[in-house]
Amino acid sequence: MPEVKQTEYRGSIHQRQKELMLKWYERLNEAAETGTPPTASLMISGNCVELLEAFGAVPIYPEVNALQLAIRHQSLEPILAAEEIGYAPDNCAYVKADIGCYLKGITPTGGKLPKPDLVLCNFVGCNTYVKWFEHTAVLTGSKLYVLDVPFLCEDEPTQAAIDYVVRQLKELVTLLENITGKKFDYDRFTEAVRCSAEVEELWSQIKHLARRSPSPFDAYFDAITLMGPLYVYRATQEGVEFFRAALEEMWAKVASGQGVYDQEKFRLVIEGPPPYPYFRTFRDMFAKWKACAVASTYSTVGGLWEFGARHDPDHPFESVALHMLSQNVTNRNYLQRYEQIKRYIEEWNADGLIIHFVKSCRLFSAGQGDMRDYVTKTLGVPTLYIESDLEDPRYFAEAQTRNRIDAFFETLEHSKLTAKAV
Amino acid sequence: MRVAAGVDVGSTQTKAVVMTENGGRSILARALVDTGANVRKAAENAFVAACHNAGIAPADVGFVVGTGYGRYNISFGNAQLTEISCHARGAHFVCPTTRTVIDMGGQDAKAISVGSDGQVLDFVMNDKCAAGTGRFLANAADVMGIGLDEVGPLSLRATRAIKIATVCTVFVESDILSYLAQGKKAEDILGGVHLAIAKRTLSLARRVPLEPDITMTGGVARNVGMVHALEEVLGSRMQVSPDAHFMGAIGAAVFALEKMDQSFEFSSWRPEHAAGSGH
Repeated sequence: MPEVKQTEYRGSIHQRQKELMLKWYERLNEAAETGTPPTASLMISGNCVELLEAFGAVPIYPEVNALQLAIRHQSLEPILAAEEIGYAPDNCAYVKADIGCYLKGITPTGGKLPKPDLVLCNFVGCNTYVKWFEHTAVLTGSKLYVLDVPFLCEDEPTQAAIDYVVRQLKELVTLLENITGKKFDYDRFTEAVRCSAEVEELWSQIKHLARRSPSPFDAYFDAITLMGPLYVYRATQEGVEFFRAALEEMWAKVASGQGVYDQEKFRLVIEGPPPYPYFRTFRDMFAKWKACAVASTYSTVGGLWEFGARHDPDHPFESVALHMLSQNVTNRNYLQRYEQIKRYIEEWNADGLIIHFVKSCRLFSAGQGDMRDYVTKTLGVPTLYIESDLEDPRYFAEAQTRNRIDAFFETLEHSKLTAKAV
Repeated sequence: MRVAAGVDVGSTQTKAVVMTENGGRSILARALVDTGANVRKAAENAFVAACHNAGIAPADVGFVVGTGYGRYNISFGNAQLTEISCHARGAHFVCPTTRTVIDMGGQDAKAISVGSDGQVLDFVMNDKCAAGTGRFLANAADVMGIGLDEVGPLSLRATRAIKIATVCTVFVESDILSYLAQGKKAEDILGGVHLAIAKRTLSLARRVPLEPDITMTGGVARNVGMVHALEEVLGSRMQVSPDAHFMGAIGAAVFALEKMDQSFEFSSWRPEHAAGSGH
């Protein structure tokens, strides 16, 4: 029996995803060549891409560029370039890859990236974002606007916090009018918010299909494939159509009883982003054990929608503010992150939790030791804690990582076998 | 006579154990070789030597389980398991009351929470840093010009152990050179080195419940200074078997005997893993 490998989802949406991402890079290349359409750099987590859409501006996501480089094994060169000008080895590797790209003129597709018309820092949770975008603005000579989004210390944001963010969004509207030379189109904004709400509903339905056994897709590795269009096209009709097709394909897999593996042996929740420079290798380590992720916190970095939150076209500014404040994993407090994992384990019926600690991202990873304790000791659920990096290939030790993963599944398998024997 | 073997290919040394089941399970023989660059050859040499010591031919061994980092390079093995599972099972075989294993090897330090039947309940390991491992001790011994076998006993003679701040395996060398230059005594420096490793290891190990009995395994368990330092920081005694170094191989041999019994059908025991798949 050959070892299980290469099990990623390869339906028509996989191809469509590639086309959409390529199209995005082509638009950015066009902006670099001609100056139009207008562009703005912004962060994935808790962003206000709906406002950009209202002005016909295209988002540039430095995080997506960085991970695209890493997955193509091209991240070390820009990281070293950034370190050569003084960035420390333990600075965020996404930052260094992005800065290094500007220094070296590297892009994931080989095309050009435009100088953004606006560097829009939608600061949530991660204060490195602010420094990152300050540096980007200096390097590109672009205008910088930093949104101040209060961290979610309580369960829900206060009305004062929502009002505070809405005031900033309205200030941003004026800024975008000046930059693009276009009058703000409220109807177009509302339409973008409506598209987002529909995409969120479709994406949420797809994620809920992973509650079935077998799960029709891997909610970590395959979810990452779908996350590109989710972020770049969320507020567009193209995004709606993509996720309609995705949901239809997933339902077809459910109807035919098709899972990720011929026999799904383990169901996992995964916390933290993957080691992108070794994405394939990392996935194969789980495929060997026929272990399928049924939920992941990383796929909620852009938005946490599977528990019901949606953008609201009837209250566009307020709902965008609410999403920035509370409906993305990065800006949520640790107790909420615990609760999210607990719900996944219970409602998605998972056997264990994998925590991938990212060496160069202390803000997201700090506290994961306590998270491990909570899940193992309070919930009594086996948890594996592994360390490497999402972008810097130098932090990945293949033999060590494989050893931990194998040991974890040996233990899980033994527990399952002895439980059956009782 | 039913005979099985376990081969533990570690980063520094390769251990092989031959076991038999004849009413009860018992160890027939052991063998130890340096791993060196040729991992496959080291595994074969250790296995053949253990068979020789047992007075049997390799062909008489019914099942071989490989473990350790080089486990996939054991060309003659029937199956592979991680050393985490094997150390737990080996410690349980030697000391059935074991509930925690602290394993210190050449590159790894790990703590394993063990169930009453020897199964792994939870484990933690050092990550991408050799602090708290045998390599740290070996570097300290090298820079002081003292044999690795001597550093443990010498450390026990420390009267004023130096506080070693760094736990970096590389930087500790310059720290030690600096203390030597200041005229500090070798035993006090080594006392500090052992305590630094013990503290580092236990801060990691406390991530699992450190329930008694605690059994120490791995090559570093042969170092009396390290055992003493760990017990001092731990505040309790540990079980340290003369076979501590062989515990991974013993566990692998126990699994091999169980496999011959067909007690469990592990998917990890697919024979094609033994064919050198390049892992």
